[in-house]
Amino acid sequence: MTSLDLDPSEILERYNVKMEKAMTPDDAAAELYPKDELIRPIAESIYEGEEDDTVEALQKAIDAGKDPIALIDDALMVGMGVVTKLYDEGIIFLPNVMMSADAMLDGIDFCKSQAKEAPVSKGKIVCHVAEGDVHDIGKSIVTALLRANAFDVVDLGRDVPVDEVIETVKKEKPIMVTGTALMTTTMYAFKAVNDRLLEAGLKVPFQCGGGAVNQDFVSTYELGVYGEEAADAPKMAEAILAGADLGKLKEQFHQH
Amino acid sequence: MTVNRYTKMAYASADDMIFGNSPNPVKAGLDLEIGGGYTTPEINYAPRPEAGETKEKLIKEYERITRDSMERMVQVGFPSVVLETEHVQQMTNNPTWGGEVANAQKAIMEDYHDEYGIKCALRHTPGDIREDRDYLQLRGEKYNTLMESFEEVASNGADLLSIETMGGKEVFDRAILRNDVPGMLFAIGCLGTMDMEYIWQDITKIAKKNNVVSAGDTDCAQANTAMFIAGGLLDKNLAHTLAIIARAISAPRTLAAYEAGAVGPGKDCAYENTIVKSIAGVPIAQEGKTSTCAHSDVMGNLVMQCCDLWSNESIEYHGEFGGTTVQCWGESLAYDCALMNSALQTGQSKNLRDMMVLSDKYRDPQGYILAYDNAYKIGEAIVKDSDDIYLRAKNAAVECVNLLENADPKLQMTRFEKNALADASEALAGLTDDSDKFMSDSLEQYKEEVKVFRPENYGL
Repeated sequence: MTSLDLDPSEILERYNVKMEKAMTPDDAAAELYPKDELIRPIAESIYEGEEDDTVEALQKAIDAGKDPIALIDDALMVGMGVVTKLYDEGIIFLPNVMMSADAMLDGIDFCKSQAKEAPVSKGKIVCHVAEGDVHDIGKSIVTALLRANAFDVVDLGRDVPVDEVIETVKKEKPIMVTGTALMTTTMYAFKAVNDRLLEAGLKVPFQCGGGAVNQDFVSTYELGVYGEEAADAPKMAEAILAGADLGKLKEQFHQH
Repeated sequence: MTVNRYTKMAYASADDMIFGNSPNPVKAGLDLEIGGGYTTPEINYAPRPEAGETKEKLIKEYERITRDSMERMVQVGFPSVVLETEHVQQMTNNPTWGGEVANAQKAIMEDYHDEYGIKCALRHTPGDIREDRDYLQLRGEKYNTLMESFEEVASNGADLLSIETMGGKEVFDRAILRNDVPGMLFAIGCLGTMDMEYIWQDITKIAKKNNVVSAGDTDCAQANTAMFIAGGLLDKNLAHTLAIIARAISAPRTLAAYEAGAVGPGKDCAYENTIVKSIAGVPIAQEGKTSTCAHSDVMGNLVMQCCDLWSNESIEYHGEFGGTTVQCWGESLAYDCALMNSALQTGQSKNLRDMMVLSDKYRDPQGYILAYDNAYKIGEAIVKDSDDIYLRAKNAAVECVNLLENADPKLQMTRFEKNALADASEALAGLTDDSDKFMSDSLEQYKEEVKVFRPENYGL
């Protein structure tokens, strides 16, 4: 013990304690699950992040006559919707989303393996870590959140050469590109990506964020839209689907 | 070179721990003694990105940084300073670049020392370049380049050798995003420690050969990743109770540098350093309220409690209203040190220490555990099983959980933080005490779950 003592409430406030929601995460989730008795266990298993339970519940639904591809939207995405809603409301935290996304991806793979046709993508997004930068935990979070929101992610990994980004965008025709970087020394690769995309006539929104990246820097190149939080990535993709152009995206996400 | 485990605490009681003093002070550079009765600012900086285009531009940039820093210290009358150069990648990948930068910096520092008598030392921290696009490559060709870099800086003017190693990070990155406490134990406590033992024996050899100081490491790559993901009070990415468990586990990992021959001062961003100091008695650098230029934390005053060097973490070199960034932030650091040194001189040091602790101890579970009294208890849990890298890491985690579960009610935690703590407690209770079993089970599990995990990086 320190020799001095004080009442901490006079000098600090734990606002997270003060603001915590009364409802427990499990109670909040229970209110959001679908009622269908074949679908609900799938959604529950996504919320719990239990891959084996997800596949088992999907199998039961398919055996009962449900279409495997329809189950992606009608069950897996519904379960993931519960997770992302609770995350957005601050009721659950990122690790829950990551574990749910793992379960959802396993579920999607299982559904694909049980079907003849391929599911329709909501929108494709190319994600990468800047050339010269090997710090990829931020990108891992971004890709998980995008997948959790039903976007099709092309994950190029870390330390990705500018050429590879451009070639992938030409081939995949994404609705958005994301770039993350930890270091100020590597984030300059984003400018090169921007310039090469423009040269190729590819005017795709380029969301940039991570450690040392800031809005001032991202604002210096035309396609750049600053993402302060990883959770901004799916919001930006949704805004693009809703018709937002670069100007509107910058207006919405450039908050400083 | 052998690894010598710490089997007892460096202090008879936690209350003996104080800033500016360590049981094993270190003499370095130009008349500087670290942990020998006074604190010293440690200025950290990064060159502007465009300065990295050529070696010549880079050297010029570091010359400006060094001259500016030394000039401000002299202008305001501060008696001592450490400069830390954390390498940009090209300086480590081209070892002679780092050597030439060290040489240029040291020449300027010697001029100031000769003219004004200011006590000073230069720390160089090569980047951990041991990875490629797909995998960590901890041993092999990149390791050799890294050792060449240490040799170049040590033989060209660097007084203190440090690095921020990344062993275990590939497993940790997956574990921390999935609340996987056993994975954190395996990544930091086992893999991280094994890599530390390997690399720090070689760094110490280079330091001894060049008559410079084998200083220390930090678990920046893992425990700081956890702290940054946890973020502020309203962030919802990671429970702060889990972030501090990762931190507790990082202490025996960072301790391994000293068991392999390092003598301190430990690296600034190792928030685990108070625990390490309680065991090894080495001087430590810390950062907090004066490193907000680089990142936020929730214990900015508290972490000054036992520091010997006081750092600003890093700031890009450029102009501000009050001078260049190294001058502005260096001056702030030095005034903090002047206050601490005044407290030491007037017999008020424990009061100042305790005020700094109390201002943050109940702000967050992280500060609560790192407060020197609790940090000391974590240290005791570590030395209890000092010869077993798994058990001592597990002990640190268990003690951290115990301290939080029985915390002073003044520390308020959210239900979410308490639930995460309860889950961690349950996971720890379910773990074996058999190290061999834990290692073999974990190897099998993470080879399966983490595609980029290569056991050969750790000699496994």
